[in-house]
Amino acid sequence: MSNEERPGEPDHADAQTPGSTTHELTGRQRLVAGLWPPRVTRAQLVVALLLFVLGLGLAIQVRSTSDNSALRGARQEDLVRILDELDDRTQRLEDEKQRLAAQRTELENSSDQAEEARRQTVEKERQLGVLAGTVAAHGPGITLTVNDPGDGVKADMLLDALQELRAAGAEAIEVNGVRVVANTYFSGDGGNVRVDDRKITAPYVFKVIGKPQDLEPALNIPGGVVQTLEKEQATVQVEQVDDIVVDALRPAKQPDYARSSSP
Amino acid sequence: MIAVLGLVVGVVVGLLVRPEVPAVVEPYLPIAVVAALDAVFGGLRAMLDGIFVDKVFVVSFLSNVVVAALIVFLGDKLGVGAQLSTGVVVVLGIRIFSNAAAIRRHVFRA
Repeated sequence: MSNEERPGEPDHADAQTPGSTTHELTGRQRLVAGLWPPRVTRAQLVVALLLFVLGLGLAIQVRSTSDNSALRGARQEDLVRILDELDDRTQRLEDEKQRLAAQRTELENSSDQAEEARRQTVEKERQLGVLAGTVAAHGPGITLTVNDPGDGVKADMLLDALQELRAAGAEAIEVNGVRVVANTYFSGDGGNVRVDDRKITAPYVFKVIGKPQDLEPALNIPGGVVQTLEKEQATVQVEQVDDIVVDALRPAKQPDYARSSSP
Repeated sequence: MIAVLGLVVGVVVGLLVRPEVPAVVEPYLPIAVVAALDAVFGGLRAMLDGIFVDKVFVVSFLSNVVVAALIVFLGDKLGVGAQLSTGVVVVLGIRIFSNAAAIRRHVFRA
Protein backbone atom coordinates (compact mmCIF):
# COMPACT_ATOMS: atom_id res chain seq x y z
CA MET A 1 0.00 0.00 0.00
CA SER A 2 2.64 2.47 0.91
CA ASN A 3 4.91 3.76 -1.72
CA GLU A 4 8.21 2.18 -0.85
CA GLU A 5 6.93 -1.10 -2.25
CA ARG A 6 6.44 0.42 -5.62
CA PRO A 7 9.88 0.21 -7.13
CA GLY A 8 9.95 -3.53 -6.59
CA GLU A 9 12.29 -3.54 -3.67
CA PRO A 10 11.37 -5.85 -0.80
CA ASP A 11 9.90 -4.19 2.28
CA HIS A 12 12.98 -4.65 4.40
CA ALA A 13 15.42 -4.16 1.61
CA ASP A 14 17.98 -2.14 3.48
CA ALA A 15 17.69 -4.38 6.49
CA GLN A 16 19.03 -7.33 4.59
CA THR A 17 21.14 -5.91 1.87
CA PRO A 18 24.50 -4.59 2.98
CA GLY A 19 23.85 -1.17 1.62
CA SER A 20 26.88 0.76 0.56
CA THR A 21 27.99 3.68 2.69
CA THR A 22 27.28 6.09 -0.12
CA HIS A 23 23.67 4.89 -0.22
CA GLU A 24 23.21 5.48 3.47
CA LEU A 25 24.95 8.80 3.28
CA THR A 26 22.73 9.88 0.48
CA GLY A 27 19.74 8.86 2.56
CA ARG A 28 20.80 11.21 5.26
CA GLN A 29 21.82 13.86 2.82
CA ARG A 30 18.49 13.55 1.10
CA LEU A 31 16.73 14.17 4.39
CA VAL A 32 18.82 17.22 5.11
CA ALA A 33 18.48 18.45 1.57
CA GLY A 34 14.74 17.97 1.67
CA LEU A 35 14.53 19.78 5.00
CA TRP A 36 16.72 22.74 4.85
CA PRO A 37 16.57 24.84 1.71
CA PRO A 38 12.79 25.10 1.49
CA ARG A 39 11.90 24.56 -2.11
CA VAL A 40 8.43 24.94 -3.46
CA THR A 41 8.05 21.92 -5.62
CA ARG A 42 4.97 20.01 -6.60
CA ALA A 43 6.02 17.06 -4.45
CA GLN A 44 6.56 19.24 -1.41
CA LEU A 45 3.19 20.92 -1.85
CA VAL A 46 1.30 17.69 -2.33
CA VAL A 47 2.95 16.08 0.67
CA ALA A 48 2.33 19.22 2.69
CA LEU A 49 -1.34 19.07 1.82
CA LEU A 50 -1.65 15.44 2.82
CA LEU A 51 0.32 15.99 5.99
CA PHE A 52 -1.94 18.92 6.74
CA VAL A 53 -4.91 16.58 6.48
CA LEU A 54 -3.12 14.05 8.66
CA GLY A 55 -2.30 16.65 11.29
CA LEU A 56 -5.86 17.86 11.21
CA GLY A 57 -7.23 14.38 11.73
CA LEU A 58 -4.69 13.68 14.43
CA ALA A 59 -5.53 16.83 16.30
CA ILE A 60 -9.26 16.27 15.99
CA GLN A 61 -8.93 12.72 17.20
CA VAL A 62 -6.71 13.65 20.11
CA ARG A 63 -9.11 16.45 20.96
CA SER A 64 -12.17 14.26 20.91
CA THR A 65 -10.43 11.49 22.85
CA SER A 66 -9.28 13.88 25.54
CA ASP A 67 -12.76 15.32 25.66
CA ASN A 68 -13.95 14.07 28.97
CA SER A 69 -16.68 11.99 27.39
CA ALA A 70 -15.17 8.59 26.86
CA LEU A 71 -18.32 7.75 24.96
CA ARG A 72 -17.37 9.93 22.03
CA GLY A 73 -15.06 7.47 20.39
CA ALA A 74 -16.81 4.39 21.66
CA ARG A 75 -18.13 1.81 19.25
CA GLN A 76 -21.75 0.98 18.84
CA GLU A 77 -21.70 -2.31 20.69
CA ASP A 78 -19.75 -0.74 23.53
CA LEU A 79 -22.32 1.99 23.72
CA VAL A 80 -25.11 -0.55 23.80
CA ARG A 81 -23.36 -2.41 26.58
CA ILE A 82 -22.79 0.77 28.53
CA LEU A 83 -26.42 1.72 28.04
CA ASP A 84 -27.52 -1.69 29.28
CA GLU A 85 -25.35 -1.38 32.34
CA LEU A 86 -26.73 2.06 33.01
CA ASP A 87 -30.26 0.74 32.64
CA ASP A 88 -29.51 -2.05 35.08
CA ARG A 89 -27.98 0.38 37.48
CA THR A 90 -30.92 2.73 37.16
CA GLN A 91 -33.25 -0.15 37.85
CA ARG A 92 -31.30 -1.20 40.90
CA LEU A 93 -31.17 2.31 42.25
CA GLU A 94 -34.86 2.78 41.53
CA ASP A 95 -35.62 -0.40 43.48
CA GLU A 96 -33.49 0.77 46.32
CA LYS A 97 -35.20 4.12 46.28
CA GLN A 98 -38.60 2.51 46.51
CA ARG A 99 -37.44 0.28 49.31
CA LEU A 100 -36.07 3.23 51.24
CA ALA A 101 -39.18 5.27 50.61
CA ALA A 102 -41.32 2.45 51.92
CA GLN A 103 -39.09 2.20 54.95
CA ARG A 104 -39.35 5.91 55.51
CA THR A 105 -43.12 5.82 55.27
CA GLU A 106 -43.18 2.97 57.73
CA LEU A 107 -40.96 4.83 60.17
CA GLU A 108 -43.01 7.96 59.80
CA ASN A 109 -46.18 6.02 60.42
CA SER A 110 -44.76 4.33 63.47
CA SER A 111 -43.48 7.61 64.84
CA ASP A 112 -46.84 9.13 64.10
CA GLN A 113 -48.45 6.28 65.96
CA ALA A 114 -46.07 6.70 68.86
CA GLU A 115 -46.81 10.41 68.89
CA GLU A 116 -50.53 9.71 68.78
CA ALA A 117 -50.27 7.20 71.59
CA ARG A 118 -48.29 9.66 73.65
CA ARG A 119 -50.83 12.37 72.98
CA GLN A 120 -53.66 10.09 73.98
CA THR A 121 -51.82 9.09 77.10
CA VAL A 122 -51.32 12.71 78.08
CA GLU A 123 -54.96 13.43 77.34
CA LYS A 124 -56.07 10.46 79.41
CA GLU A 125 -53.75 11.41 82.22
CA ARG A 126 -55.34 14.83 82.26
CA GLN A 127 -58.84 13.40 82.28
CA LEU A 128 -57.98 10.95 85.01
CA GLY A 129 -56.20 13.70 86.87
CA VAL A 130 -59.42 15.73 86.90
CA LEU A 131 -61.28 12.74 88.29
CA ALA A 132 -58.60 11.88 90.81
CA GLY A 133 -58.19 15.49 91.84
CA THR A 134 -54.51 15.71 91.05
CA VAL A 135 -54.88 18.52 88.54
CA ALA A 136 -56.81 21.76 88.64
CA ALA A 137 -59.82 22.09 86.40
CA HIS A 138 -61.96 24.88 85.09
CA GLY A 139 -65.12 25.12 83.10
CA PRO A 140 -68.77 26.09 83.32
CA GLY A 141 -70.61 25.07 86.44
CA ILE A 142 -72.38 26.29 89.56
CA THR A 143 -71.58 27.35 93.06
CA LEU A 144 -73.80 26.07 95.81
CA THR A 145 -73.58 28.09 99.00
CA VAL A 146 -75.24 26.76 102.15
CA ASN A 147 -75.49 29.11 105.10
CA ASP A 148 -76.28 27.36 108.29
CA PRO A 149 -77.11 29.78 111.08
CA GLY A 150 -78.83 27.10 113.16
CA ASP A 151 -76.13 24.43 112.86
CA GLY A 152 -78.78 22.10 111.50
CA VAL A 153 -76.90 20.86 108.49
CA LYS A 154 -75.48 17.42 109.07
CA ALA A 155 -72.95 15.45 107.21
CA ASP A 156 -75.51 13.22 105.51
CA MET A 157 -77.28 16.25 104.06
CA LEU A 158 -74.09 17.48 102.53
CA LEU A 159 -73.47 13.98 101.26
CA ASP A 160 -76.94 13.96 99.71
CA ALA A 161 -76.16 17.24 98.02
CA LEU A 162 -72.92 15.79 96.72
CA GLN A 163 -74.59 12.64 95.41
CA GLU A 164 -77.22 14.73 93.72
CA LEU A 165 -74.52 16.78 92.03
CA ARG A 166 -72.68 13.66 90.91
CA ALA A 167 -75.85 12.13 89.57
CA ALA A 168 -76.46 15.32 87.60
CA GLY A 169 -73.12 14.98 85.89
CA ALA A 170 -70.73 17.02 88.02
CA GLU A 171 -67.18 16.41 86.90
CA ALA A 172 -65.06 18.21 89.44
CA ILE A 173 -66.20 19.34 92.87
CA GLU A 174 -64.56 21.28 95.65
CA VAL A 175 -66.09 21.86 99.08
CA ASN A 176 -64.62 24.68 101.16
CA GLY A 177 -61.23 24.16 99.64
CA VAL A 178 -61.31 20.35 99.77
CA ARG A 179 -61.29 18.50 96.48
CA VAL A 180 -63.98 15.90 96.31
CA VAL A 181 -62.83 12.59 94.90
CA ALA A 182 -64.10 9.02 94.84
CA ASN A 183 -63.30 8.21 98.45
CA THR A 184 -64.37 11.51 99.95
CA TYR A 185 -66.50 11.14 103.02
CA PHE A 186 -68.47 13.45 105.28
CA SER A 187 -68.72 12.97 108.98
CA GLY A 188 -69.89 14.83 112.06
CA ASP A 189 -72.99 16.60 113.18
CA GLY A 190 -74.35 20.05 112.65
CA GLY A 191 -71.77 22.71 113.35
CA ASN A 192 -68.99 20.17 113.42
CA VAL A 193 -68.86 18.72 109.94
CA ARG A 194 -65.70 17.15 108.61
CA VAL A 195 -64.81 16.36 105.04
CA ASP A 196 -62.07 13.79 104.64
CA ASP A 197 -61.25 14.46 108.29
CA ARG A 198 -60.90 18.19 107.72
CA LYS A 199 -63.25 20.36 109.63
CA ILE A 200 -65.29 22.75 107.60
CA THR A 201 -67.59 25.43 108.81
CA ALA A 202 -70.55 27.20 107.35
CA PRO A 203 -71.04 28.64 104.88
CA TYR A 204 -70.45 25.48 102.95
CA VAL A 205 -69.46 26.40 99.41
CA PHE A 206 -69.61 23.76 96.68
CA LYS A 207 -67.76 24.71 93.51
CA VAL A 208 -68.99 22.32 90.86
CA ILE A 209 -67.95 21.93 87.24
CA GLY A 210 -70.59 20.42 85.01
CA LYS A 211 -73.48 21.41 82.84
CA PRO A 212 -75.21 24.24 84.80
CA GLN A 213 -78.55 23.60 83.12
CA ASP A 214 -78.48 20.05 84.55
CA LEU A 215 -76.99 20.80 87.94
CA GLU A 216 -79.24 23.59 89.06
CA PRO A 217 -82.57 21.81 88.42
CA ALA A 218 -81.19 18.70 90.06
CA LEU A 219 -80.73 20.63 93.27
CA ASN A 220 -84.03 22.46 93.03
CA ILE A 221 -86.38 19.59 92.38
CA PRO A 222 -89.28 19.41 94.85
CA GLY A 223 -88.25 17.41 97.85
CA GLY A 224 -84.69 17.67 96.69
CA VAL A 225 -81.54 18.91 98.27
CA VAL A 226 -82.45 22.57 98.50
CA GLN A 227 -85.80 21.94 100.10
CA THR A 228 -84.33 19.47 102.57
CA LEU A 229 -81.69 21.97 103.62
CA GLU A 230 -84.16 24.81 103.90
CA LYS A 231 -86.19 22.65 106.26
CA GLU A 232 -83.20 22.82 108.59
CA GLN A 233 -83.29 26.64 108.54
CA ALA A 234 -80.35 26.79 106.20
CA THR A 235 -80.26 29.28 103.36
CA VAL A 236 -79.17 27.93 100.03
CA GLN A 237 -77.90 29.88 97.04
CA VAL A 238 -77.31 28.29 93.69
CA GLU A 239 -75.50 30.37 91.14
CA GLN A 240 -74.55 29.50 87.59
CA VAL A 241 -71.04 30.49 86.64
CA ASP A 242 -69.59 30.53 83.13
CA ASP A 243 -66.08 29.65 84.15
CA ILE A 244 -65.46 28.21 87.53
CA VAL A 245 -62.06 27.14 88.76
CA VAL A 246 -61.55 24.06 90.87
CA ASP A 247 -57.97 24.27 91.99
CA ALA A 248 -57.85 22.38 95.27
CA LEU A 249 -55.60 19.41 94.68
CA ARG A 250 -55.06 15.95 96.03
CA PRO A 251 -51.75 14.17 96.08
CA ALA A 252 -51.59 11.28 93.64
CA LYS A 253 -51.64 8.13 95.69
CA GLN A 254 -49.89 5.05 94.46
CA PRO A 255 -51.90 1.95 95.32
CA ASP A 256 -49.96 -0.47 97.44
CA TYR A 257 -51.63 -3.68 96.36
CA ALA A 258 -53.83 -3.10 93.39
CA ARG A 259 -52.06 -3.38 90.04
CA SER A 260 -53.48 -2.62 86.67
CA SER A 261 -54.46 -5.82 84.94
CA SER A 262 -54.90 -4.26 81.53
CA PRO A 263 -51.83 -4.64 79.31
CA MET B 1 10.39 21.61 4.83
CA ILE B 2 7.08 22.74 3.48
CA ALA B 3 5.74 19.23 4.14
CA VAL B 4 6.75 19.46 7.80
CA LEU B 5 5.20 22.89 7.97
CA GLY B 6 2.01 21.40 6.53
CA LEU B 7 1.88 18.84 9.34
CA VAL B 8 2.48 21.46 12.00
CA VAL B 9 -0.13 23.80 10.56
CA GLY B 10 -2.60 20.92 10.37
CA VAL B 11 -2.15 20.07 14.04
CA VAL B 12 -2.41 23.71 15.08
CA VAL B 13 -5.51 24.31 13.00
CA GLY B 14 -7.12 21.14 14.32
CA LEU B 15 -6.46 22.17 17.91
CA LEU B 16 -7.56 25.76 17.45
CA VAL B 17 -10.55 25.49 15.17
CA ARG B 18 -11.92 22.38 16.83
CA PRO B 19 -14.08 21.38 13.88
CA GLU B 20 -17.12 19.21 14.38
CA VAL B 21 -16.65 15.77 12.89
CA PRO B 22 -19.77 14.32 11.33
CA ALA B 23 -21.06 11.40 13.32
CA VAL B 24 -20.86 9.09 10.32
CA VAL B 25 -17.12 9.60 9.92
CA GLU B 26 -16.34 9.60 13.61
CA PRO B 27 -15.69 5.89 14.22
CA TYR B 28 -13.33 5.71 11.24
CA LEU B 29 -11.21 8.72 12.07
CA PRO B 30 -8.78 7.02 14.46
CA ILE B 31 -8.17 4.13 12.06
CA ALA B 32 -7.79 6.56 9.17
CA VAL B 33 -5.24 8.55 11.13
CA VAL B 34 -3.20 5.46 11.90
CA ALA B 35 -3.34 4.40 8.25
CA ALA B 36 -2.21 7.84 7.16
CA LEU B 37 0.65 7.66 9.63
CA ASP B 38 1.69 4.40 8.07
CA ALA B 39 1.67 6.02 4.64
CA VAL B 40 3.71 8.94 5.93
CA PHE B 41 6.33 6.67 7.44
CA GLY B 42 6.45 4.70 4.22
CA GLY B 43 6.91 7.91 2.27
CA LEU B 44 9.65 9.10 4.56
CA ARG B 45 11.49 5.84 4.15
CA ALA B 46 11.10 6.01 0.39
CA MET B 47 12.50 9.49 0.40
CA LEU B 48 15.52 8.36 2.35
CA ASP B 49 15.90 5.49 -0.08
CA GLY B 50 15.80 7.97 -2.92
CA ILE B 51 12.82 6.39 -4.57
CA PHE B 52 10.16 8.85 -3.48
CA VAL B 53 7.49 9.65 -6.05
CA ASP B 54 4.87 12.13 -5.04
CA LYS B 55 2.12 10.52 -7.09
CA VAL B 56 2.75 7.19 -5.41
CA PHE B 57 2.68 8.85 -2.02
CA VAL B 58 -0.66 10.51 -2.71
CA VAL B 59 -2.21 7.30 -3.97
CA SER B 60 -0.86 5.24 -1.09
CA PHE B 61 -1.96 7.80 1.47
CA LEU B 62 -5.51 7.99 0.16
CA SER B 63 -5.88 4.28 -0.48
CA ASN B 64 -4.51 3.49 2.98
CA VAL B 65 -7.08 5.73 4.58
CA VAL B 66 -9.93 4.49 2.44
CA VAL B 67 -9.09 0.81 2.83
CA ALA B 68 -8.64 1.09 6.59
CA ALA B 69 -11.96 2.87 6.95
CA LEU B 70 -13.57 0.32 4.66
CA ILE B 71 -12.31 -2.57 6.75
CA VAL B 72 -13.66 -1.03 9.92
CA PHE B 73 -16.95 -0.26 8.21
CA LEU B 74 -17.21 -3.83 7.02
CA GLY B 75 -16.31 -5.10 10.48
CA ASP B 76 -19.03 -2.97 12.01
CA LYS B 77 -21.54 -4.37 9.56
CA LEU B 78 -20.41 -7.92 10.33
CA GLY B 79 -20.48 -7.33 14.05
CA VAL B 80 -16.74 -7.76 14.53
CA GLY B 81 -15.86 -4.08 14.26
CA ALA B 82 -13.89 -3.94 17.48
CA GLN B 83 -11.77 -7.00 16.70
CA LEU B 84 -11.20 -6.02 13.09
CA SER B 85 -10.15 -2.49 13.95
CA THR B 86 -7.76 -3.93 16.52
CA GLY B 87 -6.35 -6.13 13.78
CA VAL B 88 -5.94 -3.18 11.43
CA VAL B 89 -4.18 -1.18 14.10
CA VAL B 90 -1.84 -4.07 14.85
CA VAL B 91 -0.94 -4.57 11.19
CA LEU B 92 -0.42 -0.89 10.60
CA GLY B 93 1.60 -0.67 13.80
CA ILE B 94 3.92 -3.45 12.60
CA ARG B 95 4.39 -1.66 9.29
CA ILE B 96 5.08 1.62 11.02
CA PHE B 97 7.68 -0.09 13.18
CA SER B 98 9.45 -1.72 10.26
CA ASN B 99 9.47 1.55 8.31
CA ALA B 100 10.70 3.36 11.39
CA ALA B 101 13.50 0.81 11.67
CA ALA B 102 14.55 1.49 8.09
CA ILE B 103 14.43 5.22 8.68
CA ARG B 104 16.49 4.79 11.81
CA ARG B 105 19.15 2.92 9.85
CA HIS B 106 19.31 5.74 7.37
CA VAL B 107 19.46 8.48 9.93
CA PHE B 108 21.61 6.94 12.62
CA ARG B 109 23.33 4.30 10.50
CA ALA B 110 22.49 1.79 13.15
